[in-house]
Amino acid sequence: MSREPVMDPVTDMSADAVTDRTVSTEGGLEHLAVQGVDIAELLAADNRRARQQALLRFGAPVIGVVAFFAAWQLAIVIFDIPRYQLPAPWDIVKHIAGDPGFYIRNGRVTAWEAFLGFSVALVLALIGGTLMAHSPFIERASLPLAVLIQVTPIIAYAPAIVIWFGFGLKSILVITSLVCFVPFLVNSVAGLRSVDPNLLELARSVDARKRVIFWRLRLPSSLPFLFSAARIAVGLALIGAVLGEFFGSREGLGYAIKTAQARPIQLIDQLWGSIFVLGLMGGVATLLIGALERVLLHWHSSQRL
Amino acid sequence: MMSTTMDDTAHRASQVDDGRGGATSASVHVSICDVHKVFRRRGQTVEALRSVNLDIRRGEFISLLGPSGCGKSTLLRVIGGLTGPDAGTVDIGGESPTDARKSKQFGLVPQTPALVPWATVERNVRFLSTLDQRREGGHAPLSDAEIDDLIETVGLGKFRKSYPHELSGGMQQRVSLVRGFALGAPILLMDEPFAALDEITRADMRYLLLELWQRTGTTVVFVTHSITEAVILSDRVVVMAARPGRIAAVESIALGRPRVPTMEDSPEFHEHVRVLRSQLQDHHA
Repeated sequence: MSREPVMDPVTDMSADAVTDRTVSTEGGLEHLAVQGVDIAELLAADNRRARQQALLRFGAPVIGVVAFFAAWQLAIVIFDIPRYQLPAPWDIVKHIAGDPGFYIRNGRVTAWEAFLGFSVALVLALIGGTLMAHSPFIERASLPLAVLIQVTPIIAYAPAIVIWFGFGLKSILVITSLVCFVPFLVNSVAGLRSVDPNLLELARSVDARKRVIFWRLRLPSSLPFLFSAARIAVGLALIGAVLGEFFGSREGLGYAIKTAQARPIQLIDQLWGSIFVLGLMGGVATLLIGALERVLLHWHSSQRL
Repeated sequence: MMSTTMDDTAHRASQVDDGRGGATSASVHVSICDVHKVFRRRGQTVEALRSVNLDIRRGEFISLLGPSGCGKSTLLRVIGGLTGPDAGTVDIGGESPTDARKSKQFGLVPQTPALVPWATVERNVRFLSTLDQRREGGHAPLSDAEIDDLIETVGLGKFRKSYPHELSGGMQQRVSLVRGFALGAPILLMDEPFAALDEITRADMRYLLLELWQRTGTTVVFVTHSITEAVILSDRVVVMAARPGRIAAVESIALGRPRVPTMEDSPEFHEHVRVLRSQLQDHHA
């Protein structure tokens, strides 16, 4: 996606001052004839390096994950770990494959709750972040509350939320949103303030309205910050949804874990199957956010590594 | 060549050149009258501008020259209505700076290119003119064909679809320059736009700027700390001094138009440079 800064054919010193090479703006390096340099070899070396980097980028994570599960599987055999303590990963996969409907059904419930909580937190944080970014008073008045939400363990007041909002989706949504809210809030305030001050002055010089500046400058500038928050919030949303199901639901992977914990001998596979599916859901969501980030933030320096 | 120093020739300044440059009221585009500006911070005050008087003619290219902290950027921002004076008045063709800003009388070219990183070159040059289209009234921007023509003139025709991070610093500054002109505003305010560029690119940019200025007939207020740049570009150079920020002298440049690079070797050019350098040194605190 990224391209290096181009040579400026009009003013770049290198284009005019060096006499033993010519630059064609129509083509690329193929048209660069430099005495004593094998351009074809340089291009071939670049291609080899690009292939190696692609392999590193996609191959290394796969190798890391496979090595981890292979070591786990091996440890079960070598140390003869009983199944009720820690089942082998292959046994867990077989268990999930034996009852996929159970995991699809409960996984969908948890994913929906996590998605809703994530989305509600994002919208509320953007509204709150906008107010805070525009008003130092609101920021200073709200920040202690935001810190309190973050530092108080959600598990401590989750039962109170279930008492207030009742058993079911509403409570789980509140818990999940609360867990995701602060990272989105802090990053949205920082992001909305990250606009180049020269750009803001340019917008003022044509008397652009604050609303227009928000949509056309502040919000796009905040996207890199919001994506950073989203990567953190994906995991938090799943934590919130599972925790909510512990206290206020009779379905979902959190509830499946809770019931398995009550009967660990009989349901140890269900416990680990749920953990596997949750990990898979988090991984896929993170990949989706990464893909969206690459598309929407192709212009940002974070995407040009 | 006309040169005056406000400090030692105050008694005749009003007759010869008090910054009004002999302009008639009909030809005056920007009139700055006894403007003061004081910055306050934690009980401390800095007199950024003291009793500044200056008339700028329609279509004139005027440079504000001076050391850092002499108030030249502040004066530019006061003219553009981006900050208000603490005393005195600024008149932009019969309007206050704030009203002139609302009627889109100003194009601004800042020191850094300040391009929108997620927009291509062709979207960047139109960014300000399309920023708040629903806001009615005001000066009309250039047409698409005229803007495309400007892009070609500055040598960016092949880079219309490029993003800022794909361009060199000089190319980014050319985008910023075209963006300033694309508004079609009658007054262009330029705040050391070439300060961060290397000398070769900078020299190239000066003549590109002159070409665009001559084509559009815009009134240009150009802030710089480069004497040679001020001389080769300007009709008049306003020398500013610091502590307090004030106009120390106004030098009319007696070089013909259009300006060409060979003029930089002429005795007249060097004489202007010598006089301006001497004035800057005289008023350097």
